[in-house]
Amino acid sequence: MLSSVPQTDTITIKYNRKKNIFYSDKVVPYIFVLPFIISFLTFYLYSIISTIMMSFQTISGLNDVEFVGLKNYMNLNNPHFFNALTVSAKYTFFTLLVLIPLPMLLAVVLNSKMTIGRNFFRSTLFIPALTSVIVAGIFFRYSFGEQETTLANAIIKSFGIGPIVWLQSKSTAIFILVVLATWRWLGVNIVYFLSGLQGISSELYESAEIDGANTIDKFFKITIPCLKPVIIYVVTISVYAGFAMFAESFAYWRSTPPGDIGLTLVGYIYQEGFNNNDLGFASAIGITLLAIVFVLNLIQLTLFGFFKKESD
Amino acid sequence: MKMKSTRKKNRIITITNLIILSLFSVIALAPFYFMFVSSFKPGEELLRNGINVNIQPQIMSIKNYVLLFTDESSLYLHWYKNSIIITLLHTVLALFLTSMVGYGLAVYNFKGRNLIFTVVLVVMMIPIEILILPLYKLMVSLKLINTYFGVVLPFVVSPFAVFFFRQYAVGLPKDYLDAGRIDGCSEFGIYFRIMMPLMLPAFGAMVILQAMSSWNSFIWPLIVLRTNEMLTIPIGLASLITPYGNNYDMLMPGAVMSIVPILIIFLLNQKAFISGLTVGGVKG
Amino acid sequence: MKRTLCVIMAAVLFFSIALTGCGSAPKQPANQAQSSNSAQQETQQKKEELKKTTQFSFWTFQALHQQFIDDAVASWNKTNENKPIAIKTDVYPYDEMHNKLLIALQSGTGAPDIVDIEISKYSNYLKGKNPALVPLNKIVEPELDKMIKARFDNYAKDGKYYGIDYHVGAAVMYYNKEILDKAGVNADDIKTWSDYVAAGKKVAAAAGVPMTTIEVTDQWTFHPMISQQGSDYLDKDGNPILDNEINIKTLQFLKDMIYTDKIAIPTPGGHHHTEEYYAFMNKGGAASVLMPIWYMGRFVQYMPDLKGKIIVRPLPKWKDDGFRSAGMGGTGTSITVQCKNVDLAMEFLNFAKLSKEGAKKTWTVLGFDPIRWDVWEDPEMKADNKYTDYFGKGIFDMLMQIKDEINSINVGEKFPAAAAAVKKDVMFKALKEQSLTPEQSLKATAEELRKK
Repeated sequence: MLSSVPQTDTITIKYNRKKNIFYSDKVVPYIFVLPFIISFLTFYLYSIISTIMMSFQTISGLNDVEFVGLKNYMNLNNPHFFNALTVSAKYTFFTLLVLIPLPMLLAVVLNSKMTIGRNFFRSTLFIPALTSVIVAGIFFRYSFGEQETTLANAIIKSFGIGPIVWLQSKSTAIFILVVLATWRWLGVNIVYFLSGLQGISSELYESAEIDGANTIDKFFKITIPCLKPVIIYVVTISVYAGFAMFAESFAYWRSTPPGDIGLTLVGYIYQEGFNNNDLGFASAIGITLLAIVFVLNLIQLTLFGFFKKESD
Repeated sequence: MKMKSTRKKNRIITITNLIILSLFSVIALAPFYFMFVSSFKPGEELLRNGINVNIQPQIMSIKNYVLLFTDESSLYLHWYKNSIIITLLHTVLALFLTSMVGYGLAVYNFKGRNLIFTVVLVVMMIPIEILILPLYKLMVSLKLINTYFGVVLPFVVSPFAVFFFRQYAVGLPKDYLDAGRIDGCSEFGIYFRIMMPLMLPAFGAMVILQAMSSWNSFIWPLIVLRTNEMLTIPIGLASLITPYGNNYDMLMPGAVMSIVPILIIFLLNQKAFISGLTVGGVKG
Repeated sequence: MKRTLCVIMAAVLFFSIALTGCGSAPKQPANQAQSSNSAQQETQQKKEELKKTTQFSFWTFQALHQQFIDDAVASWNKTNENKPIAIKTDVYPYDEMHNKLLIALQSGTGAPDIVDIEISKYSNYLKGKNPALVPLNKIVEPELDKMIKARFDNYAKDGKYYGIDYHVGAAVMYYNKEILDKAGVNADDIKTWSDYVAAGKKVAAAAGVPMTTIEVTDQWTFHPMISQQGSDYLDKDGNPILDNEINIKTLQFLKDMIYTDKIAIPTPGGHHHTEEYYAFMNKGGAASVLMPIWYMGRFVQYMPDLKGKIIVRPLPKWKDDGFRSAGMGGTGTSITVQCKNVDLAMEFLNFAKLSKEGAKKTWTVLGFDPIRWDVWEDPEMKADNKYTDYFGKGIFDMLMQIKDEINSINVGEKFPAAAAAVKKDVMFKALKEQSLTPEQSLKATAEELRKK
């Protein structure tokens, strides 16, 4: 694909003279961005509009549709939805709590000139990100089995704690979800923070040292402020990924977790839309989810002063 | 005196760092070890005791792997083949298309550019999972259900990749553009002959990120793919875990084997990947 | 850099081609498998044969059913040489299969010819005026007088029968005799549920294991126990009665078994089809379990260590004149309207599932209690097979005793939602999480169902 294109291009040059549209910088830019425009119009815009429309309908079959106004949104007032919202919110909160400071610290360690084997460690820490949620989920699902012999129970047993039924209670559910996310995602965030750290000039640290700053001062006064763009980026994608989470929950409980313990918003969409065949209601959940992610990211970006910087 | 204490302090830091990093590396790699060990045990053992730390040579054998590749229905081979084709199709198309868009947004100044770039940023924030219902209906009417293109097309122009290439291309030297125009190259000639080679590090990073996301994607293929022969590895593996007649023997070796190709691509390409991420990745 | 990329692309391409090469050969159905490797002449001959062979596709969520259908196809082709058939089976996970089927039937393409639909999902496919399934009255009606009719009503609408079940699904109690002996309990003396609780206390004291396990994420403990007493999730008209007095009392009884009498525990893994439970039970973890007859296959397959220790008995009664069983679960095999050769498919289903021979096979191949009661006393049913090896003989003698003690189940339009809610909410919240009392738990779900 990549190599075949220049050939066609040569032909173009042969047969067309200067006035050809391929030479016009009025038209060419639009050809360049055309793939995105087409994909946006057909897949995204179309889907969003029809999701919004479906959210006001009851859909009994592909050609059997009835307009029901706000009924689907009113039906969101049920314990399952609030449960899913809580699970998604808790999951997002805890992934942020773990997956910002921990990779940041590890990135600082990795970035230190005094560390040996930096490339090696950077790669090993990244490798978990290569596994799919399902493959990682198979491992964690059977490691968190409730038998005494499973990996998780063997580990806590060495601390003198009895076997735990990991997969059947609300509190351990969030824990095992966050463990899976942390294992898979730690390395990616480390790479992000590392790239931020490498952009900080060492002169800043040197002049701070002359002023008598210690390591902790340097970390809070120089490192964190300089990493702000990276932090904003990581928080943004984590909020997005946290609220869009489904595969992790599916790996542990498939689409129907008992007592909704690991049911996320997207899981609830799947359950209502596909298991219960209620596309209208599922769309209402989807639109609500979209609103939540947008609002949270707007708040977050405003708090970090992202927009202020843009307008300066 | 002072020199000596600094050196001693440095050595302590080196050792502490080494310990911290080793500890986390062990945590990162341990699951692979346990999965590898478990993949040689009979599925029955997984049933009884879950994944555990015991190495039991008396019950371990390569029988599961043999089964995986010689199973009568050869489903796993189909899944493997499908995953490879889908990943290849997605990665090649995505790199080609998104790099063009990113480049166009970065290099040219045209009416509507800011609008399009804003749309890219907004689309990045939409959880694609909420679009699956209408997209599914669209695929039904396009007759793309249960096809490779049905899996690939909706998400091939990934806004994330567009954003990434745009950030990278913004930093390209503009002088080459004019030089190319003077030489009589078309705008596409300039892109494919001059500018694209300059963007290769960004391609290196995107190859891995796109291949990774395609190889591991779950919810969309779960919905679009219909027949067992068309499934990808993650969907296929997930289908092995069911209350009504499971195939636990294939589960673990299947999981282990699914990591191998993506690991190879990563190991071959890791330098380009990480430097690419570092250069273009995070300016947002 | 460029080179690395090229190398990777080439390697991946090579890999995929290599895999395509080895992956496609064994894919074909068994009856044409040899053709790919053999001489051309033979291929030609096979091809002509293939022209006559009618191909059907079949979806199921239960791998065992595939064995049954394969076996039936083989016998069909032996007796019907002039119209051979081949069936390609796809086994999918439970939820995924039912979802895919619903979507395929609604969108008008992609559905299989023949499909297994589980009872608690069935009414989803009978909604609307024209169900996308083919009525089977032509083959069902002539045989109906020899059948347990309740098993056909589950899959019927407006006098049309759409599905053929595999089994009656008589709920029974599986006892671990070794554990009962240790506690000095004789299974035949357990006549009522209060006997059962009393025996459970002896077992707990003497053997140190619980009498039974109770499903907290599925319905096979609760549903048979209320069905025994004539109650159900829905009434005859399909209205939710989940929170009636019998159901509340029964759920309370289950809770008491766990937390007051301490003779039962929530099932390890949540229900009786989990890895955790198989492991637990296989090690002699509990003295008994209430499950339908179709559960025999799970014992044979997943709990090999219990071979020869398990005995099968009727359920304890609630009252002296109460019923000792309940018909639980079921799977209706149906033909979709997308099937191209409906007549032949019907003929085959008649042969495979309704005929006397077919009914016997549901026992010998699957270990199920056939829906044709006139074969239960057939001498062939007494022959040894892997189920008699495991459980001993006389299973059907026991079944004959309880044949008339089975209530039918009300399968209304809300049954899928009711069953799903019992599985994931009612049991779990009342028995495991204990966040709601049995009464609150049943009431909450019943209210939710009424609103739908």
